[in-house]
Amino acid sequence: MSGGVEATTAHLVAAESPVKRFFRATEIDTRLLGMVGALVLIWVGFQIFGGIITGEGVFLTPRNLWNLLVQTSAIAVMSTGMVLIIVMRHIDLSVGSMLSFVGVVTGVAQVYWLSPWLGADNPFIWVVGVLVALGAGAALGALNGFLIAYAGIPSFIVTLGGLIVYNGLAWWVIRGETVAPMDAYFELIGGTPSGSWIGGTASWVLGGLLCLAIIVGIFVNRSARARFKFPQRPIWAEAFLIIVGCAIALGTVAVVNAYPWPPKVAESYATDHNIPVPEGGLILSHGFAIPMLIALGVGAVMTFMATRTRFGRYVYAIGGNPEAAELAGVNTKRITLQMFMLMGMLVGVAACITAARLDAASNSLGQFDELYVIAATVIGGTSLAGGVGTIYGAMLGALVMQSLQSGMTLLNFDSAVKDVIVGSVLVFAVWIDQIYRRRQS
Amino acid sequence: MKSIKSLVTGVAVSALSAAFLFGAADTALAKGHKICVSWKTFQEERWKTDEKAIKTAVDAAGDTFITADAQGSASKQASDIEGLLSQKCNVIMVVAFDSDAILPSIKKINDAGVKAIAYDVQFEDPSALYITFDNIGVGRLMAKEIYKAKPAGNYAFIKGDKGDPNATFLFSGIQEVLKEGMDSGKVKNVCETFTDGWKPDNAQKEMEQCLTKQGNKVDAVVSENDGMASGVVAALKAQGMAGSVPVSGQDGDLAAINRVALGTQTVSIWKDSRQLGKAAAEAAIAMADGKDAAGLPGVAKFNKGKKGVEMNTILLAPTPVTKDTLGAVIDAGWITKDKACAGVKKGSVAACG
Repeated sequence: MSGGVEATTAHLVAAESPVKRFFRATEIDTRLLGMVGALVLIWVGFQIFGGIITGEGVFLTPRNLWNLLVQTSAIAVMSTGMVLIIVMRHIDLSVGSMLSFVGVVTGVAQVYWLSPWLGADNPFIWVVGVLVALGAGAALGALNGFLIAYAGIPSFIVTLGGLIVYNGLAWWVIRGETVAPMDAYFELIGGTPSGSWIGGTASWVLGGLLCLAIIVGIFVNRSARARFKFPQRPIWAEAFLIIVGCAIALGTVAVVNAYPWPPKVAESYATDHNIPVPEGGLILSHGFAIPMLIALGVGAVMTFMATRTRFGRYVYAIGGNPEAAELAGVNTKRITLQMFMLMGMLVGVAACITAARLDAASNSLGQFDELYVIAATVIGGTSLAGGVGTIYGAMLGALVMQSLQSGMTLLNFDSAVKDVIVGSVLVFAVWIDQIYRRRQS
Repeated sequence: MKSIKSLVTGVAVSALSAAFLFGAADTALAKGHKICVSWKTFQEERWKTDEKAIKTAVDAAGDTFITADAQGSASKQASDIEGLLSQKCNVIMVVAFDSDAILPSIKKINDAGVKAIAYDVQFEDPSALYITFDNIGVGRLMAKEIYKAKPAGNYAFIKGDKGDPNATFLFSGIQEVLKEGMDSGKVKNVCETFTDGWKPDNAQKEMEQCLTKQGNKVDAVVSENDGMASGVVAALKAQGMAGSVPVSGQDGDLAAINRVALGTQTVSIWKDSRQLGKAAAEAAIAMADGKDAAGLPGVAKFNKGKKGVEMNTILLAPTPVTKDTLGAVIDAGWITKDKACAGVKKGSVAACG
């Protein structure tokens, strides 16, 4: 009998096209690939279109790509949580207002309470500022989660109420004023001052470490599969994954390093540090900025949490079938509360990035961000029916959204046209995804 | 959304009827005339400043001050005005929520022989007095200060929300001033964009894109308000250009005044709502005494509204807050010296010492 089975498998493999065999062997998510393809298409499209209109495409310059990564970071951070919320068949409409409230609170805490008390530029201020933001976010998130899980109010309603309430609270704290400037250390979180650029060397080291992590990861995965007698990927597929992974990591480093410091910033840095300025100006690399690293770190931690921990598996189990999960002994209420609390903390992180980047906090900060976060998540392949969605997909979705916005601003598009295009892309992306899914099943 | 709205209105109505009872009790005690105000909404901080200024002037004249808050509803404002008429107000100031829907109520005021004042928001009724800041002037003042600082070069324009007519209105004033420079080719428009929701973080992204596109060759930025100016300045700062590129704004935001002192923002056009409140209260007191609106000081004819109705109008000039005029804002008590001068180097700004 066993000979017969082998023959059938061999027959199937033979009938498979080379492309299909390639994807099966490398186990690459084809939807991810589709998204990357769309992103490349958008980038190249803006570059060419910009070239035609203005005579010189600026989209694919290191400077613009660097900006793009910084501009995406806050939305990307929040989208990692929104994925899991939507996977659990919930929604959080309150993240934008919560961001403005948390931003305003941490701004007021730094500028009006801590700074007069501890003296400006005390290195303690930013630590408390961040803790206040995370704490406030976690508390509001937990409140949302409690009302949803234990009081049984639908998440749509709770967070819709939250959207309005937190908006009001943000206004109430600040009365329409703008708090500025933020603490000098806190500002580093936003990536604006030169102190928040880690520089060329550190970026290469980081890129190398990422590459190393990919290699180690693949070997660990191989030995784990061997231990449980799972089928292995062919060696050529493993090598391919390592090469592509490292190319992306090191390529990104090359791009962020190719963006030199603005001449005036480099100049004043040189005078401050008594560095002789060579002819043609001092060339220093930006490298990664702190907000990019925060987003990267959050993405890694959230991916780990979603795929490797019990909490993550419960979240997907609840999303797949809430009743079955509950009957299987999962404390769905507690998981729901924890998930919303986690979302709140991520909002706290995003609030720090946004307020630090602007170097000011006002109650208009973060308004409508919930729409962008949800859109990014959905473009990233998360199903509103629950159970399906990936962290990296959502982060890529955030990059797609920001690329569209940024590219159109570069080309001086009318903002009404911008709105029309962004909205259409959202619907179009979900439509394509639906077609793909139907084909798959 | 609809159910929420009706719930909010319901709460508002009951709160308001309570307010009416107290208002009525107040009036029985007072002598002199009654100066009344119908607010469109009291949710915004600024109206409280206006109210304080009006009340101070009215109290000083020995008249009585009565208010009603329409909570952002045109129909509530109509019944508010009926309520004010039945309380026998002598002059009613109206901050119209909807400048067309208010007209039947204004007719009722006229029919009752009561004087109406259009406060800050215009409604076109020839018998009413219109008091406001010169809004086209705000755009003109902004552009004038920036033009003075940079008479030639690449200009970026960060406009407000596309849905707000004020954004376009301001821009027409800006263009008026810069026309001469643009026609001669000295002033070049390199970036121009609306900003969703007047949001500072959007303005920051727009400015970053503009600088990227221009390779930092931007010499001046006209931002239509102070919030967006904060985003513009943050974007300039990342390129080490904050302080060397003139930036405009309006509103007299406290943070913006501090930026003016620090030199990263050139001007904030400040509409002192206490000045507006005081002027309106004085006009109202005079009208309650039986004086004719056309004969009041500062009154001129104005017909630049939508329908072109000619009205008696007092247009107040906004104050440009620059490094040189900073002292006036501090003296007026709008901002404390500590807040205005935070982080300013000693001796660099006269008003900061």
